[in-house]
Order: sequence, then structure tokens, then C-alpha cells
Amino acid sequence: MSFLEMRNVSKVYGTGPTEVRALVGVDLEVDRGTLVAVMGPSGSGKSTLLTIAGSLEEPTEGEVVIDGEPLSAMSRDDRARLRRRTVGYVFQDFNLLPGLTAVENVTLPLELDGVAAHRARGVGMAALEELGLAQRATRFPDELSGGERQRVAIARAVVGHRQLLLADEPSGALDSVNGEAVMEMIVAACHRGVAAVVVTHDAKLAAWADRVVLLRDGRVVDQTEPSSRESGPGPHPPVSTE
Amino acid sequence: MSDPLDTVADRPAHGGLPARRAMMRWAWRLLRREWRQQALVLALIVAAVATTTVGVGVSTNTPLSPYVGFGTAHDLATFAGVSSSETSAISRWHERFGPVDVIENQTVSIPGSIETFDLRSQNARGPYGQSLLALVSGRYPTSAHQVALTSGVATSLGLALGDVWREGGVARRVVGIVENPRDLLDEFALVIPGQVTQPTQVTVLFDAPGVAPSTLGSNVITPESVAQSNPVNPETISIALVTLAMLLIALVAVAGFTVVAQRRLRSIGMLEATGATDANIRLVVRANGALVGVVGALVGFVVGFAAWLAYRPSLETSAHHVIGVLQLPWVVIIVAMALAVVAAYFAATRPAKALTRISVVAALSGRPATPRRVRRTLLPGVVVAVVAFVLLGAAGASGGNGAGVLELALGFVALTVSVVLWAPFSLTALSRVTRRGPLAVRMATRDLARYRARSGSALAAISLGVLIAVVVVVASAARFGNVLDWAGPNLSPTQLIIYTPIGPYGPGPGNANASPPTFNLAAMDHDAHVIATSLGTRDIVQLETTSATLQHAAAGRSYSGPLYVATPQLLRAFAIPTSSFSPTADILSMRPGFSSLTAMQLVYGNYFDHAGRSAANHFVCPTSDCLANPTIQEVTGLPSGTSAPNTVITEYAVHHLGLTTLVSGWLVQTARPLGALQITDARSTAAAAGMSIETKSSMPTSASIIDWATLVGILLALGILAMSIGLVRSEAVSDLRILTAAGASSVLRRNLTAVTAGALAALGAVVGTVAGYVALIAFFRTNTLDGLSALAHVPVLNLLLLLLAMPAGATVGGWLLAGREPAAFARQPLE
Repeated sequence: MSFLEMRNVSKVYGTGPTEVRALVGVDLEVDRGTLVAVMGPSGSGKSTLLTIAGSLEEPTEGEVVIDGEPLSAMSRDDRARLRRRTVGYVFQDFNLLPGLTAVENVTLPLELDGVAAHRARGVGMAALEELGLAQRATRFPDELSGGERQRVAIARAVVGHRQLLLADEPSGALDSVNGEAVMEMIVAACHRGVAAVVVTHDAKLAAWADRVVLLRDGRVVDQTEPSSRESGPGPHPPVSTE
Repeated sequence: MSDPLDTVADRPAHGGLPARRAMMRWAWRLLRREWRQQALVLALIVAAVATTTVGVGVSTNTPLSPYVGFGTAHDLATFAGVSSSETSAISRWHERFGPVDVIENQTVSIPGSIETFDLRSQNARGPYGQSLLALVSGRYPTSAHQVALTSGVATSLGLALGDVWREGGVARRVVGIVENPRDLLDEFALVIPGQVTQPTQVTVLFDAPGVAPSTLGSNVITPESVAQSNPVNPETISIALVTLAMLLIALVAVAGFTVVAQRRLRSIGMLEATGATDANIRLVVRANGALVGVVGALVGFVVGFAAWLAYRPSLETSAHHVIGVLQLPWVVIIVAMALAVVAAYFAATRPAKALTRISVVAALSGRPATPRRVRRTLLPGVVVAVVAFVLLGAAGASGGNGAGVLELALGFVALTVSVVLWAPFSLTALSRVTRRGPLAVRMATRDLARYRARSGSALAAISLGVLIAVVVVVASAARFGNVLDWAGPNLSPTQLIIYTPIGPYGPGPGNANASPPTFNLAAMDHDAHVIATSLGTRDIVQLETTSATLQHAAAGRSYSGPLYVATPQLLRAFAIPTSSFSPTADILSMRPGFSSLTAMQLVYGNYFDHAGRSAANHFVCPTSDCLANPTIQEVTGLPSGTSAPNTVITEYAVHHLGLTTLVSGWLVQTARPLGALQITDARSTAAAAGMSIETKSSMPTSASIIDWATLVGILLALGILAMSIGLVRSEAVSDLRILTAAGASSVLRRNLTAVTAGALAALGAVVGTVAGYVALIAFFRTNTLDGLSALAHVPVLNLLLLLLAMPAGATVGGWLLAGREPAAFARQPLE
């Protein structure tokens, strides 16, 4: 069974003349350890797919199942718990909480889940150390560079055994060097068994994925699988978005 | 990337304490980092708590504490004199409870003055009364022929240390100057116990712990029983005012926290995306509110306490008693601080709930929730308004004298709630009225209606400020407009009255046959003229009185003021020609509307010997001693002071009713206001001649009360507006960006802010005035004496200032202070 399953998912915003069909009958499966890239033009429904997959929004139709649990059967608090324990997000503009230090941002999901602060801090420091940010752990987000902020955001997204990583244009605000570094981290997470979905406009970054899903007008129009990544971490040959 | 976490099964469902700690930490960090955004609410709380600390310190220490007479005792008994029963009661208490401290007072007059002091026998080393005595200089008396005086008594009697004072046939040497540190106005002459032969009051101090004072006698009190018998004390009033102030602050704070929450919308979205529950989100905002309250309360207390330390020495001088550094009503201050925290917490509750209704995706994108079309009903507002009307009516019907205070307080609380409930509907109505107006008007009023979360609370706060001002203004006008129970300053600063022993009210009906006090009128007249000359004036008028006075036939109404005779000399002094009034007029008065009063009676002779009431509860008016419906004519030339001859009986009435006139004093008028030294000299001269004087008291005029209330109301409303208008407009800042990008000039931006400010002010003025009049009508309609006619005196100018000038000022201020181009057109960053 796939870790993330989206079955015939549709999303409609508004009603009547203002109705917008953001997603139409989307099916998507993501296995553990798999990196899926979602590409498509602006307004094709990429971000909507990601937010529905991560329980931030509810689909108008269809079903989302994470680790065998349908989201529709979950309460609001259950979905919040799912985000604390299972799903991690990475956003284009980092979205670190400005009042918390780097390590506090990383440990936030753990503390929200009831892990004692000192224990969560140990875990957060270990995570930052692996990302080479241990020296910056006590800095506030506005004291970090863009690349550092995104690394902190990734650490926050995967900390605490979380198994599904959802990233919306994670390198969109970064230069190419930092962008590739971010993708390396996501791939590394996949090697540990994390299922990942990355929305990107950048074909070079999509080449890191095991599978590329093309969206247009809310529909999945193509799914391609770049050549195997057995050769190790790194981009596959660029895939065409057309 | 490994971590040592093993299982999640034993973690609390909602994160438990660690999650709450994390949210509290973030709230605290946000407050530290973004305190400027909350400076308004912080400043309001700091100001309120600081003002409360100083205010209650002053208000509770300025008047004497009702507990001051206890010394260090728990029980206090008072007797009018000493008889065998009192002596045996004191002996019983002594046997049962141990030491007692007996303080005997005998009233002694200061020659030439209406003032008195006490001849006091007290053990200076008594077990409980020691704290009521302090030695200023010299020593305490130790023998029957020694006395210690307060400095006031020493000055009045012209005595100094070493002098001999003769009183009641006893000569005593002054050995010390003393004071009562708990009451510096307490004037007395201290002698050793047993030296007061005819005490007029005896105070017994003792400790009877655990014994109900009522079981010892009706004259025994304890601090607890005093507090229970006096619910409307400065502490209670202070707490009521603080509660009202915190309510106003909470209303403004709702708008402030809403805007702060909106600015953090994307952070909140991120928090939810990370797995925060609704409870976590609410906790962040509420914790932020509580922290603002705590910080504001602590800083406010520190500021207030510093101000108290600085002002305390001046207060000691003006309050006439020693005030300790920590002699503050701590309960009130702690309650005020707690109220600040509670107000801020609850003010943050509403935006906290609103935040959890915004979808995570909308929050992440920084989009505020689209205003929902909520069909709210006016019914709750109407119901609460009716409740307020009924409660205030019950308060009005209670007849005063302390009754009806609870109904009055609850009525105002209900009225406040009603104003809060009505405010959003007023905004909606305004937007409908202006829907065909110019662009700026249309947009501004529409935004006010769309974003009622903050504009509604700001409007409610402004309305309450205006409501308070309207109630004070109209109620003051009603009180000062009562021509029967005349109120106001007693005299002008240039007037002085010298009284003979008869005094201003004459013998009064019922004492007509009593022998008038004998005194040397010629000598007093001479001395009165000497006083006038010393004051540099020849404007001196002899005041004559009779046994007659005025009364209203209805029981419960009372005429106040002296009734002097309109002698030719008095009329001349005020340039009133006899041709200006009817030769058959009985009464002349400057009180506006006095002549139109019905059921007046001029009573004289031995009226009170047989006065009774009719079936209609009206005073009877036998023709032998009473003139029903005397002819009253209004004359503007008479002075207005309550002690001045503002209402006089004509010589026609004096002759017609066969009244006898007596000289009761002289009215002296000077060109310049009288100085303290002149008054002191005049008092000394009058005292030496067996007379007394009266000069202007500190009673404010109706105009000063009404004008001050109006000014405070306007400043309060404008202050709330100034502090909240930025918050109100911030909601529509994106619209402003669009307008600017579309080419709107600063004029339109200025107009938007000006209209927003003006509309809120005007609406607040109208709602506040209407609510104020609702309260007044509810209160006065049940008043059995005057009913709604008491509200006939409408302070038109002051109401116009509130209704027109205040909104105009807000509009102009908004226009002048607005118009700045938005600093950034980009979406607000999270960090």
C-alpha cells in the first residue's frame, strides 16, 4: 500500500459564476522512500494538490489516505495531530516563526505533540547538526541567510519520525546552489524511507524525482519516471514539462 | 538525521504542558519583539493602573478613614456622656476583655467663631489611643493644671508654650503642642484623664476579638461593621470606576488584538500547518493578551507608585493627616491590576476565536477572513436595554439616601452591554445611509460596517465616553436647575457676610415668640463697618430676616436658602428699582423659574406648632401662620449665591403678614477677590465682637461642572478615536494600496481617514447621547418628586459640542494626520 493515496480528488472553489475547479479527479500514489515532483503551469492546481494531500484543505470530492488512514474520517484535531507526527511541510518562503530561534522552530512540532522541551531540544540540535547548522541554532530567522532558513524549515518538516514531506517550491526563493542543496536534503530524507512530494517549476530540480506528475487545469495529464536513481543522489536528466 | 524519540503513543492528545509552554514562549517572544504594535493597549493599561494607584491613594487618604478613631483597638464604643450605666458598661468590658482606653471630649467654642474644638482628656500612653496623639513640641500634660494644644487651637486662642489658658474657671499652663497624626484637622486641647467634667462624647477603645459588636451594645463598632455599613466608600467607587475604565480599554483592546492577530496571520497559518490545534492557536493569542495585561499592570503600578511617592508629601499637607508610604488601598490596586489582566485576556479571546475560523491555506497566504454576512438580531441589544431601563428606573424610585445603588450600578452595566450590542448595527445603518455618497464616504463607511470586529468595539468605547459625559452634563444641569433646592457656590469671591448670633435663617417659624438673643446691635454694626473699611469697601448692606420661610406644599420637597428682607437698602445695593416689581409681590427671587412653581407656601409665626399633612400628603396651610401661593416675582438683579440674598421677602409681605424683622448680618462686597489674610483679619475682628463670617466655599458652579464634563467627554472620545483609528483603517490597508496603485492621490487617502474618524465620532456621539438620555429618562421618570420635568434644563451648547464639535474635530484631525502613501506594496512578509 502506498503511503499517500489520493483517489479521484477534486476541489472546487466558489459557487455559481465564481466557481473555480482547481483539481479534477486527481489520482496519485506515493510510496515510502519515493520522491514525486509535481509540475505544471501557474493555476494548474499544484499547490492545491499539496495542501489537500497534507490535510490543510479538504477535497470537494474524493478521498485522501495517509498511511492507510482516510483523512475524511479524521476530526480537526486528528488532522492537526497527523501534521505533528506524520506530515511535514516546506514552503517557498520558509515560513519560520519569527519569534522562535532556529532550534525552537525545529522542535516546535515535537513540543506541540507533548515532547518535553529539553528532550525536544536535543532532537532539534541533532537535526540541525546533521544539516550543518548547529552553530546557528540559537539565531532567530531574521539572522539567518535564505539557504539556512530553508534548511531549518526542512529540519522542522522531517523531525520526529515524520514520513511524508510536502514541499511547495522549496527552492523558489533560493539561488541554484542552495536550491540543489535543498533537493539533496529531500532526497536524503527519501533514502531514509520518507515519502516526498515536491511542487516545482524548475525542470532541473524535478529531475531529482523518481516520478514527475504533470498537472494542467487541475487534471493529471502525464506521469513520467526519469531513469533510475540507483546511481546515487543527483539529478536525473531533465524532464520535459510539455 | 536520527533522533532519540521512540514512541508517540504516550504523548498527550493535544500536546499537554509542553505544547502550552511552547505557545506561551512564542507569545512572550512576540510581545517582546512586536511590543510597538501593542503599544496602544499597553499604554492604556499602564495609564489606567497608574491613575488608579495614585487616584485611590489620594481618594482614600484625602477624606478621613472611617477607621481612624480606632487607634490600635479592634472595638470602639461611643457614648454621648457619662452616666452610671456607661460607667458600669466600661467596667464590664475592662473585666471581660482587659485594658480599655477612655477618651472624653467636651465641645468648646472658639470665641467669635462658629468653629469649636474639643477639650480632651486622654491618657497619652493609653494602650490603644497612643497612635491618635503625637507631640509636635513641648511635652504632654502631667497634672490637672497643664494642657497641650493643637497648633490650630493655639493660634485661635492666641496662646503659645508657657502661656496660661483659662477655660471653665480653670487655669492651665500650655506645656505642649500636639496633633492627631491620623487627622490633622482634629483640633483639641489635651488634658490628663479625669479633667473633663461635662463630656459631650466619650470614646472607649478596647479589644474584644471574636465577639460580635452588636452583642456588646448598639454603640459598639468594629472596622468590619463600619465597612459593612458603608458600602459606597472610596474603595467601592474606585473599583467601580476602574471596572468601567477597564471595560473601555477592553473594547479598544479587542480592535488592537484583532489587528495584531491579523498581522500574524501567516505565522498562525504556519503554526497550524505544523500541527497546532485550535486550542494551541487560541492559547497563543490569549496568552499574548494576558501578557500584555500583566506587563501593563506591572509597569502601570510602578509608574503609579512612583507618582504616589512624589505626591504623598503634598497630599499630607492638603489632607491634614500623616500618610504612610505604603498607606494605599492595596486591595483596590490588586483588583485593578487583576482587572487589567482579565480585560486584556478577554479582549484577546474574540480575535483568538476568529483566527481558528480562518482556513489554514487562507492564513498561510495572509488573507484575512472575508467578512461573513452574518444575520445577527437586534433582540439581545433591545432586551438588555430594557433591563437597563428597568434597573435604572428602580434606582430612581428608591429615593436616594444610599438605597438603589446596586440597581444603579447594574443598570449602568446593562446599559454598557446594550451599547456594545447596538454598535455594529449602528455601523451597518450608517453604511446604508451613505451608500449614495461620494467615493471616500462610501468606502469609509462600508469598511466600517464590513470590519465591525474593530470598528464596532471602537464605536462602543467612544459611545460610552460620550454617554458618561452626557449623564454628568444633563444630571448636573438638572441638579443646578432645581430652583427650590438651590445649589451652587455660596458666595462670589468678592462677597463676605458677617453674621450676628441670629444667623442667616432667623428664628424660624415656631420660634416667633421666643426671645431673640440679646446683643449689642449698635456695636456689631460698628464692627461690621470696621471690617468693611478694612477690606477697602463701603459697599455694606444690612441683612434682615424674619420668622418666615418658604416651603413647598408637597412633602419631600424642601426650599433651601435664607429668606432675607428686601429692604430699600438691599434693593439699592443691587440696583433694583421698586418699580421693577409688583407692589403686591410677596417674594422676589433671581432663581429662574421660581415664580412658576405651584403649591408654594410662605410659613411664619408659630406654623410648626400645628403643622400637619393632609390626606394628599401635603402640608396644611392655616391662614393664621401660612400664606398659600404667595406672589413670587423673578428679579434678575439679585445675587445668585446660595448664602446670598437670592430670594427675599418684600416689605409689603412683612407688613401685610405682621412680621417682625431682625438684623441677622451684613453683606460686604469688595472690588477685588478677598485674600486669605483679609479673611483671617475679618474673622478675628468678627470673633472679638461675637459675630462670625462666611466667605466663598469651594463648591463648583454648574457651568464649571458641565463644561469640565463636556471637555473630558470630548477628550476621552477623541483619545479613543486617535488610538483606534489606525487599527480600524489597517484592516483596509490593502484597499489603500490598490487605490494608490490605481492613481489615487493623497487627498482621497486623507478623505478616507477623515470620514472614518468623523463617522465613528458622530455615530459614537449620537449613540452615547441617546444611551445617556435613556439612562436619565429611566432614572428620573420614576422620581416621585420631579419626574421627567427635572430634565427640562437641557444644556444645549454642551450637547452640541459633543454632537457636532467633537465629530468635526475628529474629521479635521483625521484629515491632517492621514494621507501618507503605503510604505510597501508587496505582501507583508512573515519575518
